[in-house]
Amino acid sequence: MKHSMQACTVGWLAVLFFLLNSCIEEETYDNTPQGNFEALWHIIDRQYCFFDYKHAEYGLDWDEVYTRYERYITPDMPVKGLFEVLGNMLAELRDGHVNLYANYDVARYWKWFEDYPANFSDSIQRNYLGTDYKIAGGLKYTILDDNLAYVYYGDFSSGISEGNLSDMLRELALCNGMILDVRSNGGGLLTNASKLASRFTNERMCTGYITHKRGTAHDDFASPEPLYIEPSNSIRWQKPVVLLTNRRSYSATNDFVNTMRQFPLVTVMGDRTGGGSGMPYSSELPCGWSVRFSACPTYGPDMEQLEFGIDPDVRVDMKTDDMARGLDTIIEEARLWLNNH
Amino acid sequence: MKSRIVFFVCMWLVGLFARSQGICVDSLQRHQYIVRSTSYGIGSIRLLDTYLSPMGYAGSQLHMVRESTRMLRKGEGRISRQTLFHAYVAGAENGAGTASELAGMLDWNYAWHYNFSLADGKLRLLLGPMLQLHGGFIYNTRNSNNPAQAKLGVDLAASGMAVYRDKLKRLPFTMRYQLDVPLLGVMFSPQYQQSYYEIFSLGHYDGTIVLTSIHNRPVLRHWFTVDMEFRPFTLRLGYMADMQQSEVNDIKYHAYTHSFMIGVVKRLYRL
Repeated sequence: MKHSMQACTVGWLAVLFFLLNSCIEEETYDNTPQGNFEALWHIIDRQYCFFDYKHAEYGLDWDEVYTRYERYITPDMPVKGLFEVLGNMLAELRDGHVNLYANYDVARYWKWFEDYPANFSDSIQRNYLGTDYKIAGGLKYTILDDNLAYVYYGDFSSGISEGNLSDMLRELALCNGMILDVRSNGGGLLTNASKLASRFTNERMCTGYITHKRGTAHDDFASPEPLYIEPSNSIRWQKPVVLLTNRRSYSATNDFVNTMRQFPLVTVMGDRTGGGSGMPYSSELPCGWSVRFSACPTYGPDMEQLEFGIDPDVRVDMKTDDMARGLDTIIEEARLWLNNH
Repeated sequence: MKSRIVFFVCMWLVGLFARSQGICVDSLQRHQYIVRSTSYGIGSIRLLDTYLSPMGYAGSQLHMVRESTRMLRKGEGRISRQTLFHAYVAGAENGAGTASELAGMLDWNYAWHYNFSLADGKLRLLLGPMLQLHGGFIYNTRNSNNPAQAKLGVDLAASGMAVYRDKLKRLPFTMRYQLDVPLLGVMFSPQYQQSYYEIFSLGHYDGTIVLTSIHNRPVLRHWFTVDMEFRPFTLRLGYMADMQQSEVNDIKYHAYTHSFMIGVVKRLYRL
């Protein structure tokens, strides 16, 4: 009995000693230029989700990026200089979902739309919407002269309810077709995108796949899970749809276009979308700056990458002559398409 | 509800009467003797959850502990039962002061202790198993698609206690030190970068329930209290250090809280 009590006591002391020496801490970095550089490089190295894809696409080598940018880091460099170096380092990822936020600026990579024609003008759009257009949640809509519905959704962060959608579709029920415009929609909530898309399909469809990292290695991903779109159990649109896109159709809008392009009555028209198929996460540096980066990738139905955008079925650019006359070439092409199909 | 209040007031008066008559606790039916306490506290917190941020956050928290203990008929009257409800809300900032996190945690504990009596009954050592259910959240006010982390789990813990009862110049007091150590359990955790959209909107739950033991969830809770019996009430002063930690699915978490508490103890005798 005495021996068992002693063994029990020794066992307990061993467990306590183990516990008292088992602090779970994260690796810390100093709030110095070098410390902030190291922290940012490691956050991206462990958590960014497109390393392998971008290495294959344009040779991105994150270790080489470290070597190249570390040379610019000095102990006495000014804060704004550090911000610029770190921002440039992040731009190597060529990702619109990657940002560095300080109180006075946001470092970003916007070449995915800045290097291309805008293919959208809100002042020309006004010639189509007029002033008496209707608003249902985040949607603006009207009926054009040739009995085609024109619906604009400019921000998937603006909410839409099932009631908004049902009432809008009821209003547009007598139209011959629909132009659904998501140009310059930079994304927002995926749930809004799915809610809208569910009004254009009559059957459950696999629209793509989603995965996430399971660990810190560049290739440590969980098995991709299929993404399904379920048809709405309320009013659904049964006529042709032309979906208008441009380079600023990004993030959740890219996901929406990927879903819609698989429906038989939908034609995608305009410019290639901007991409942005990684759900962004947030993190931060010792100096307090916030960093955003792509963390959970989604893919198309054939497991194809959508990070750099989706090509339209019909490529159309805005023409300068049309714009001078107040015409939106892409809307005009869509009208022509719908009137001929 | 009213009848319960009347019942407990009656029990409290009976307890007072018993003590005023110099009746020793042990002379009563021990299993009908219940000690209940409610304590409130304030203290510090150090918070880390790498799902939200690799940076540690520090701040303060408000604490509440409700405890109930009673002797059972089992084990020749040497087994006591303890139920413990413990909750806190906390606010913390990162080192640079540019972001904040809010946290709320609660746990419910149910323990059976075997009582060893030493030093003529002045010192009691208690040892036994404890079931712990715990849940809560951490919310980072700045993050976008990873703004919050949910905490949920159940543990089987070992619980030990030393209780010393004496008088300091006519003032009866009870000192207690308690240590609870979870040994085995399960907890919820998203995978390393799994989004809550995937878990709850798409229903992808795989890998989110994780087995835990001291190798990936080394947790300690120390609790020291002093009860001073001023008639007609007993004042409790206490200190609790709750060292919650885990490292599952490559996500590191700790919430170290230190709290100083004050409360009231009620001794009830169930008829």
